[in-house]
Amino acid sequence: MTLAYYRQDMETCCRCSACKFIPLERVTGYEYVAICPSIARYNFHAYSGGGRLGMGVALLEGDLDYSDKLVEIIYNCQMCGGCDVSCKYAMDMDVLEPLNAIRIECVSRGKTLPALDRLITKLRHGGTMLPPAPSARKSWSDGLNLEDYTRQKVDLIYHAGCRIGQDPAMWKIARYSVLLLRKAGLEPGIAPGSELCCGGRAYEMGYQDDFLRQARVVMKRIEQSGAKTLVTGCAECYHAFKVLYDKFNLRGNLKVLHTSEIFADLISSGRLQPQQEVSLKITYHDPCHLGRLGEPYTHWQGKQLPGHIRLFDPPREFRRGTKGVYEPPRRVLKSIPGIQLVEMDRRKEYAWCCGAGGGVKESNPAFAEWTALQRLQEAGTTGADAIVTACPGCEKNLKDALKKPADQTRIYDLSELLARSVLKEEIDAAQ
Amino acid sequence: MPLSKDQYAAFEDVVGPENISAEPAILYSYSWRSGLYAGVEKFTPRFEAVVLPQSTEEVQAIVRLCNKFKLQFKASSTGWGPYNDAAGPGVIRIDLRRMNRIIEINEKNMYAVVEPYVIGAQLQAELMKRGLNCNMCGAGSNCSALPIAAHQGIGHMSQSASYGERNQLALEWVTPDGEIIRLGSLGSSDEWFCGDGPGPSLRGLVRGNVVPLGGLGVYTKAATKIYHWSGPPIFPVEGISPHYSAGKIPHNFSIGFYSFPSMDKLDEAQQKVGESEIALELMGFNAAMAAANIATSNEEEVKLFREFSQYVQGPCFMIIIAGNSDRDFEYKTKVLSRIINETGGKAIPKLLDDPVVAAGCLWRWLRSTGSIREVFRVSGCFGGEVGGTDCFRLMADYIYKTGQMKGDLIKRGLVYDDGTSPFTQSFEHGHFGHGELLIRYMPNPITFKVLTTEFLVQANETAIRDHYGVPGHVFGDAAHDMYGPHCSSYHLWLRRIKKAFDPQGASEATHYITVKE
Repeated sequence: MTLAYYRQDMETCCRCSACKFIPLERVTGYEYVAICPSIARYNFHAYSGGGRLGMGVALLEGDLDYSDKLVEIIYNCQMCGGCDVSCKYAMDMDVLEPLNAIRIECVSRGKTLPALDRLITKLRHGGTMLPPAPSARKSWSDGLNLEDYTRQKVDLIYHAGCRIGQDPAMWKIARYSVLLLRKAGLEPGIAPGSELCCGGRAYEMGYQDDFLRQARVVMKRIEQSGAKTLVTGCAECYHAFKVLYDKFNLRGNLKVLHTSEIFADLISSGRLQPQQEVSLKITYHDPCHLGRLGEPYTHWQGKQLPGHIRLFDPPREFRRGTKGVYEPPRRVLKSIPGIQLVEMDRRKEYAWCCGAGGGVKESNPAFAEWTALQRLQEAGTTGADAIVTACPGCEKNLKDALKKPADQTRIYDLSELLARSVLKEEIDAAQ
Repeated sequence: MPLSKDQYAAFEDVVGPENISAEPAILYSYSWRSGLYAGVEKFTPRFEAVVLPQSTEEVQAIVRLCNKFKLQFKASSTGWGPYNDAAGPGVIRIDLRRMNRIIEINEKNMYAVVEPYVIGAQLQAELMKRGLNCNMCGAGSNCSALPIAAHQGIGHMSQSASYGERNQLALEWVTPDGEIIRLGSLGSSDEWFCGDGPGPSLRGLVRGNVVPLGGLGVYTKAATKIYHWSGPPIFPVEGISPHYSAGKIPHNFSIGFYSFPSMDKLDEAQQKVGESEIALELMGFNAAMAAANIATSNEEEVKLFREFSQYVQGPCFMIIIAGNSDRDFEYKTKVLSRIINETGGKAIPKLLDDPVVAAGCLWRWLRSTGSIREVFRVSGCFGGEVGGTDCFRLMADYIYKTGQMKGDLIKRGLVYDDGTSPFTQSFEHGHFGHGELLIRYMPNPITFKVLTTEFLVQANETAIRDHYGVPGHVFGDAAHDMYGPHCSSYHLWLRRIKKAFDPQGASEATHYITVKE
């Protein structure tokens, strides 16, 4: 959708500043009321959802040009969708979509950030945005004897994602995940050494054409594999496959599940049985892409009816984060003996972003780190020994921030804790 | 009139390079027009720069520089209304976002001291943990908790927690020419307990009928009275946005929504509720406002409004009761029941029958989170009339007359048809009353013109002719000059105040009063 498509949404902004705070019904104290890292860090109204919508109108009106400062403001945002949820507690208007439309417009005009351009260049040439070379990506699956869905027909695909596949420190997430699936009697296929980036981040950085090109290539491979279901442990990939691919009618009938969803189901049905105690007091960090942004895409095509109220024909259902994936990861964690789950103030649909999204980690690492430190501080107030999350992007960014202070907080992926409880013998044997 | 390099550098020296900007992209974001009385222009005049001070001393330095450079300034917190905007060139925006501390919560003496960017939700949440509560700005808990920040400061808790004018205690004020004045007890000690002394008492002077709306310097800290809270320290809200609710009404709380056969009967009921001091909250919502609060989308709002409207026999109010003990709650409940019976009140079927909906409304109306739904969701824009503060019946009668004027606008298709019933409320258990008429419309030049040149003119004529006092919408030179001659020539005094404290006219006063001979 073009920026002009969202004119009415942008012009519906009433300047109430709700986009800067968590939903007001959820405020339980002075601290941790901010929802938007961008305005929290940079303070000028322009760095809020509402401020950016005003800028969007000014761009449409021709009052503003795509200056370096504008690009800097537009890209100092993780696209976490917190503003969107807080606004839509009360309003019928889109916030995040217009923000993305501004980015797409920036890219189409060549107004981009060098750090992001470099990522896209890698995507165009190597099918992934992250180093190292694809040959190293095979390693996470060494010795697992998994089917290669690029060569054989499979029912189920496990998609590791670039962040896991290309970072040896994170390979265990993928290994544990497929071992857990296997334990439940599922045999996923993978693309050893040749897994392609989902392209989701390209879209959120405004490179819509690159995203679409990538998505079509990826979907073609998936379709050729015959897979009916794709499982991923990366929230960003999950959002891309489930939401973005659907948005552009590319997903077909592919069922997309996050590992937390399939694990929760497998535990409920008794096919996975967490029995080994994992004695740990934890708090769970909701990844934006799994939580509020993980809500299914709602297709709508119609028109706003004339009159003094924003009604649509057919009725337009706004995505408000209500149907995001919040409970499955909690169900998994609660099923593990010994785990004590304590919640942070900001959670579920109004969780504070880890700071990595929207290209910020690459274009402004200091801001990504600042945002992560806010989250670590909040987690610290719960008294938890560890933070558990369900996205390698969140995990990495939080861990990177931890390097600064002498913090003993541990950060785990959900699959790791579940594996400790379900796969103790296998893990012990491997060690 | 962009700032010169030297001027910019002078401001930069005060707040640091990170906290000043004159970039067009930044300035345009501040110029997007408010949704209140949105008209033809999408953008208000651009500020010359925006500064983000962190302390009273920085505010003072900025104000002094504005006087030195013959610039104007406009200070604001969350920036909800059009009062935060510049009317023309040569204005610096003082965004008080970084002044966001709760300075003190004095449980013993029941006051809290806040900076301008503490929002109502934050203060209320901290108070509830301590068994205390505060008035909430009617515009919503997203607005400043500073009792002198927002218009009249009337809100959802005003029945039991009064309103801005009466809640404001000691005040720290940076005058338009850059002096720091500490009013009330703060003027003679470091205590915040009183707005009128020992120390200089200029409370009426700095407030006026409504606050100066940015036109008389910057209020950097203020103490507000706080009140008793008998509910849970943290309200047990469940669910995912926008479907929040406590699931069930907490122990010793109740919420009711009643309509009455006539204004006389509603008046009688609210007087009796006030005299018996049983209500924690009493708000004269109409069916449209109830529908807006409960609904999570415009489609649902339309459906609920139609549904509720069938059962409304006349003017309505919503009442929340909180018991300090089981016996207290039982007593209050019985008193309410008797009042409703005596006055012919009827509960609106379906509105609060579902305990989940009722508990949701209870918290929404205690926290004041539904205001944005009420006024802005329909189109992002609203206008209407804000009455003054006087005895309940006088204010109710005035606002009902403006409701009749709205009927004409509806017939002409100029505004959204959500009925002509206005909103009324009593506060301080009936000592005062207030009324507002909500008019929602899709921004367009014709409606805007009719609202400003016909509707408001008629409303003003009615208020003056029938002696309803000075409404809350009266701000700016033209309005004060119209009302002043009928009200002890207050406009002349207001102008003298402005001149005495702001000899250079540095505090941008489009929504207050300017100095003119």
